[in-house]
Amino acid sequence: MNTDLLPESLRQAISDDLAPVKPLPPVWMRTLYAVAVAAVGLALVIVAFKLTLRPDMSELPMWLGWGCTVVQLVVGVVLIGMALREAVPGSGVPAGTVALAVGTGVLMQILVGIATWMNSPGMQWIEGKGLSIGLGCAAHDLALGFPALVATLWLVFRALPLRPSVSGLLGGTGAAVTADAINHIICPMSDLRHVLVWHTGVIFGLMLVGWVVGKLWERKRFGNS
Amino acid sequence: MGVDRQAEERRLIEFMIGYQKGRMDDFEGLYAALRQPLLRYLWTFVRNATVAEDLLQETFLQIHRARQTYTPPRPVRPWVYAITRHVALMHLRSGRRRKEMLADDQLPEVPVPPEMEKLADRATLHRLLAELPRHAQEVLMLHHLLGMSFQEVGQILGIAPGTAKVRSHRALKALRERIAEREGGAE
Repeated sequence: MNTDLLPESLRQAISDDLAPVKPLPPVWMRTLYAVAVAAVGLALVIVAFKLTLRPDMSELPMWLGWGCTVVQLVVGVVLIGMALREAVPGSGVPAGTVALAVGTGVLMQILVGIATWMNSPGMQWIEGKGLSIGLGCAAHDLALGFPALVATLWLVFRALPLRPSVSGLLGGTGAAVTADAINHIICPMSDLRHVLVWHTGVIFGLMLVGWVVGKLWERKRFGNS
Repeated sequence: MGVDRQAEERRLIEFMIGYQKGRMDDFEGLYAALRQPLLRYLWTFVRNATVAEDLLQETFLQIHRARQTYTPPRPVRPWVYAITRHVALMHLRSGRRRKEMLADDQLPEVPVPPEMEKLADRATLHRLLAELPRHAQEVLMLHHLLGMSFQEVGQILGIAPGTAKVRSHRALKALRERIAEREGGAE
């Protein structure tokens, strides 16, 4: 082996800090960690806010109630897994796949909202109360999504995301879709004004948070983004 | 992937595993195995031997800081090349970039696509290659010169393997057209 070409400064820098390291677990295992934290977080938020199933749950067909929740949860977990995959060099997710996954998450929330509104009017819209009810729902959504977002971003930044804003966007969308999957069977409002402004708004908000945190981390880690 | 490539990949994985366990010999093995191909890849970003050497050192420092993010037995090369690419892009964005074109006699030992070798002399091919957009140069370098599969090229560039294939096809076509234009102009 010819190591003559190894510069002395590099050899010194490496040998000074050559402690054994434990390889990062595979993506599926890190996704499970994030999902476990998210599940505990969701349970705590549900208990803390005393959240219960929406009153018209029995009027919704099974596929629209529990079915859509399960599908949204799966999409959310896939998005979280993609964020964690993107965070490892050489495992970059193609831009088209990122757009498709993020678009699917957002579109699914909108379609589920429309389908729910068509099947059950839910709680009646109260003029003048839209803002306070909306803020309450947004707070629930944010609280439900926060543990998943924090766990995902923590795992993302423990790796070496070379496009941290992309990882953050995927993680933010995953956390938001996961939160909406639960809030879909909790929020009593079906009115589209409420759903599209507040629930879809929170999804975009968490996506933005993930993207911005990624950008900030990139600036801190690499200095000149 | 041929038998040699498989053996080479296995060797790199063994080096990485040893390196993660804290063995300096394995780091040196990794450096020796990757130094030349990484310098060739860096040529697509910078045309200055000194800058390329600096970036190579920076790449290995980044590899060192991120060595726990490699998960055996995944292929080593997409992981290493993705870090190298990032170091080079950060350099280009940093504003430290200077006019780095070299005269023909200073060109580093970078091969050209085998199917192109007969069409023009080495210096001309280098110049024509350098005129291609960087993403085209990168795909040509990774697939045709460094022998990576489109799957690996996609992993390094963060694009789908099909997209890498299309880019490679277009890049070769563009290179052929430039050679034809040059020959047409010379007549």
